[in-house]
Amino acid sequence: MAEQTTDTELLALFREPATKEKAFTEIVKKYQERLYWHIRRMLVDHEDSNDTMQNVFIRVWNALSNFREDAQLYTWLYRIATNECLSFLEQKKKKASVSLSEVESGLTNKIQADKDFDPAKLEWKLQLAIQQLPEKQRIVFMLRYYDEMPYEEMSRVLETSEGALKASYHHAAKKIEDFILNH
Amino acid sequence: METPNQILTELQEIAPSLTREGISRNPYSITSGYFESFSENLISRIRMEAAALGIDPLHVSYGTDTEGDIYNNITDASDEIAGISPLLASIKNKNPYQVSPGFFESWKTNLPLTENSNLTPTEIPLSASKSVSSHKTNSSGRLVSMFSNKIIRYAVAACLIAILGTTVYHYATITPAVDPIKGLTAISDQDMANYLDAADIHWTPGINSETAVVDFSDIDIHELLSNISDTELEQYFPALPEQKGTVN
Repeated sequence: MAEQTTDTELLALFREPATKEKAFTEIVKKYQERLYWHIRRMLVDHEDSNDTMQNVFIRVWNALSNFREDAQLYTWLYRIATNECLSFLEQKKKKASVSLSEVESGLTNKIQADKDFDPAKLEWKLQLAIQQLPEKQRIVFMLRYYDEMPYEEMSRVLETSEGALKASYHHAAKKIEDFILNH
Repeated sequence: METPNQILTELQEIAPSLTREGISRNPYSITSGYFESFSENLISRIRMEAAALGIDPLHVSYGTDTEGDIYNNITDASDEIAGISPLLASIKNKNPYQVSPGFFESWKTNLPLTENSNLTPTEIPLSASKSVSSHKTNSSGRLVSMFSNKIIRYAVAACLIAILGTTVYHYATITPAVDPIKGLTAISDQDMANYLDAADIHWTPGINSETAVVDFSDIDIHELLSNISDTELEQYFPALPEQKGTVN
C-alpha cells in the first residue's frame, strides 16, 4: 500500500472485505504515534495508555464503516481518544471511590515516579504544571501546544466554540507559566 | 488553517516562557519497537475477540455499533427485516384477509362514471367536481331515530313521577321506630306507680328491679309450695338446717 494513501482511499479500502484488515493496519500505523502521545500525556502511565489506545482502535474498527467523512478522520480519532481517556479517568475515580482531584494528584505522583523524571528539567516541570489545570483546560492546552491543532478542528473534537477554546488556552498558558516560574 | 508558526506566535504573546528551547520536548519514553508491533498486536486481538464470539471479523462488525451497521447495510425492505428479525422475515408479509371473488371488479363498476367512462379511476368528472358542495348534504343517508323525542320525554316524566311518588308514600306511611327507654323516661314516677297499683304490681319508686321486694302472703306461699314435699324442700335448703320447718 502506498505511503501517500489518503484517508478517503483508506476508508474506501476498509469497506472492502478483501482489503479491510490491510487498510485498518495502515490507518493504525498512520495515527498511532500521535494518538499515543496524546493519550500518554493525559494518562501519564504507559500501561494505561497502551490499554486505552487499544480500546480506541477497537472502537474505530467497530465504527469506521459508519464514519460519515464529513469530518477529518484524525479529528474523529482524537475525539474517540479523548473520550476514552476521560472515561478511563472517570472509571478509575469510581473504582477507587476518590474525587477527580485525587485522581489528578495521583497523576502528578505518577509523573514524579517516572524513571526519567528530573524536576530540574523544564519539560518535566511543564508536565507537572499541566496536571494542575482543570480537565478542560488541560485537554485544550495539550491539543494546541503539542498537537498544534487548529481551533476549528478542536471545536469539533471537544464540541466547544472556538471563542471558548481560545479563552481556555489563554488561561491555561498563563497558569502554566506562573507554575513554572514559581517552582 | 493555522501554521505552527502562528501557534508559536500566539503562545509567545500569552506566555513567552513556554516557548523556551527544549520545554516542549516530550519527556516520556517507551520501549523500542512499541509502535512497530502495536498494529500487529491490535489485529491479533481483534481476530481473537471475533473468534471467541464466533464471527468473521472481516464481514461482521460487533460491539456498540451493531444497530448502526444494520441500518447502513440496508439495501431493501426484505434485507432490513432480515437484519432486525429473522423470524419476521421468515413469516413473509402475506395478507391474512380475503374478499369474495370479483369484489374489486364489481366495486369499480359501481362508481358513478357512466357519463365519463373514458376517465381513469383517479380522475373526477368536471360536473361532479362542480356540484360537490351542493351534494355535500345529500352524500350521507338520512338518520332515522328509533323513538320520537315526544315519546322519550313522556317516558322520562313518568319514571320521575313514579320514583317521587314511591318515596313520598314511604315517608308518609312508615312510622319511625319508638325507643322504649326514651318513652319510659317521659313518664313520671307517680304515673308509673299508679299504673303498677292498678295492675296489682307492687313496686316502690326509687328501687330498681334487681332489688325490688315482692310481698307474698302465707296463703300464696302455701299454694305455691303445696305440690312440693318436705324432703325436696330440705334438699333445696341444705345450708339452712336451723330454719327447717313444716310448710305443708
